[in-house]
Order: sequence, then C-alpha cells, then structure tokens
Amino acid sequence: MRDFTRSGPTILMKLTDYEATLLESLVEQFSGLLESDGEEAPEVGDSFARWQAELAEPDLLDHSDPVIRRLFPDAYSGDAEASGEFRRLTQSRQRSERLAQAEVVMSALRDSEAGSHRVQVRVIELDAWLKTLTALRLSLAVRLGIETPADAEELDALDEDDPRSYIYRVYEWIAYLTENLLGLR
Amino acid sequence: MPGENEPVQPGGVTAVSERPAESALTGWVTIVWDDPVNLMSYVTHVFTSYFGYAEAKATELMLQVHNNGKAVVSRGSREQMETDVDAMHGYGLWATLEQG
Repeated sequence: MRDFTRSGPTILMKLTDYEATLLESLVEQFSGLLESDGEEAPEVGDSFARWQAELAEPDLLDHSDPVIRRLFPDAYSGDAEASGEFRRLTQSRQRSERLAQAEVVMSALRDSEAGSHRVQVRVIELDAWLKTLTALRLSLAVRLGIETPADAEELDALDEDDPRSYIYRVYEWIAYLTENLLGLR
Repeated sequence: MPGENEPVQPGGVTAVSERPAESALTGWVTIVWDDPVNLMSYVTHVFTSYFGYAEAKATELMLQVHNNGKAVVSRGSREQMETDVDAMHGYGLWATLEQG
C-alpha cells in the first residue's frame, strides 16, 4: 500500500507513530508561537496605561522573533509606516486564520491516534494543510538560517551527528509531505 | 516574458493628474519575491488557486519568480493589491505591493 492515496474527497496519508507525533509537536509549537503575546501587560493599578492598551489596536505578536517577521513580512518594501498600517489592519485576522488552519491539521493528526490509522486529509481542507506545512518549513528555515539555495545545499551536506542535520531532514520531510499532498489534489 | 523589456511608460503622470478616479483603480502591482524555501509546485498551486490563472500562466509566473528573483503577479488598485499581498502572505509567499 502506498503512503499517500486518494479516496474520493479524502487523501489518506500513512505516517509512522514517530512521524505523527513529531508533526503534532511541530504544529503545537507553531500555534504556541502565534498565541504568544509580543506586548507586556500594563501594570495593575495603572489605569491610564490599561485604558491606552484597550484603545490601541494591540500588536499581538512578537516581531523581534525572526520567524514572526518571515510569516508577517513588510507589504511595502522600504516603507515602514505603510507596512505598519497594513499589519495593523491584517495581522489579527491573519493570525486567527493561521491558528484555525493549524487546528485542522492537529485534529486530523489526533484522529489518527499517533499514526495507528491513516491520517485523513479532506481535500476541501487541503489549503489549510498546505499553508500550515509551509509555515512549518518557513519557521524551520529561519531557525536553520536558510536564506539562499546555497545555505540549503550546505545543510544537505552536513555530517549526520550535527544537530542541524536532523532539523534539516525534518524540513525536507515536510517538503516531501507537501509534494505528495499537492500531487493528489 | 513578452513585454518584459518594454520601456516604462513615463506618460502616467499626466494621465493621473487629469483623471484621478481612473488612476485610483489601477497603477499598483503585487510582486512575489523568490525565496529558497517555497516549493515550485506549491507556488504554482497558489497562483492557480488564488488568482485562477491557467496552469501554463501560473507555471510561467512561478519560473519568472524562480529565475528573475521576482514577478508581477497581479495589477489593479492599491486596495486590490493589498488584498492580494495579504493573501500571498497567508500562503507563506513573500509579496509586496508598489506603484507599477
């Protein structure tokens, strides 16, 4: 039996116990990153600061994190003000969409009971899968420092006992999942 | 790409000042930039599924991104281009808008 098959409106994906658990933990970390707050809560008792925080559109994400910067890039290159305004208007919706998409993936993985059943990817939810897998790869790429094709080649050639080599193999494995899902769309 | 090497039309300034209503509807472009992470097949998928481009056009745009470092993927008003850039970011593509 092949690892990826399509049955009508559903793609069935065979994952090992290890793979399903790994993917679950990556998605969980990703959701956690999106849920973490970039702003410090105003001090209790400072009513003016609290009032200000309520009025302001809160910047919910930690933009000092390079992964967040890659997932929410500037819309206007070289125009920080317009990019900031764009972010203010789009970020909160973008964030909740990403969390909802991650939840689609999480729930399918949970249903597979750590890969003891085939993971069911509903074709109408395929974009949620593809977007989430892509976001995972972008996050790993930032952590691995992949900025050019040459960086990826360098990682590919790393010694097996280099810790980055393992992360790079995970990164490549998610690409393999993505390609296979795309092939059955 | 046909038209790629055509000179930039400098006449737009006059047209804009005479017809501001029309200029507000066009004049902006969405640019997708190359990155070493996104898969070629995925980028093509995004162009077909979001813009509704035929496979051939989507593939051509994807190759333009890959080979030239960037491609104009849509044109229209500033508001439309903000919508497109927002969607591209949602797919994990690196996109910006500018006056084209």
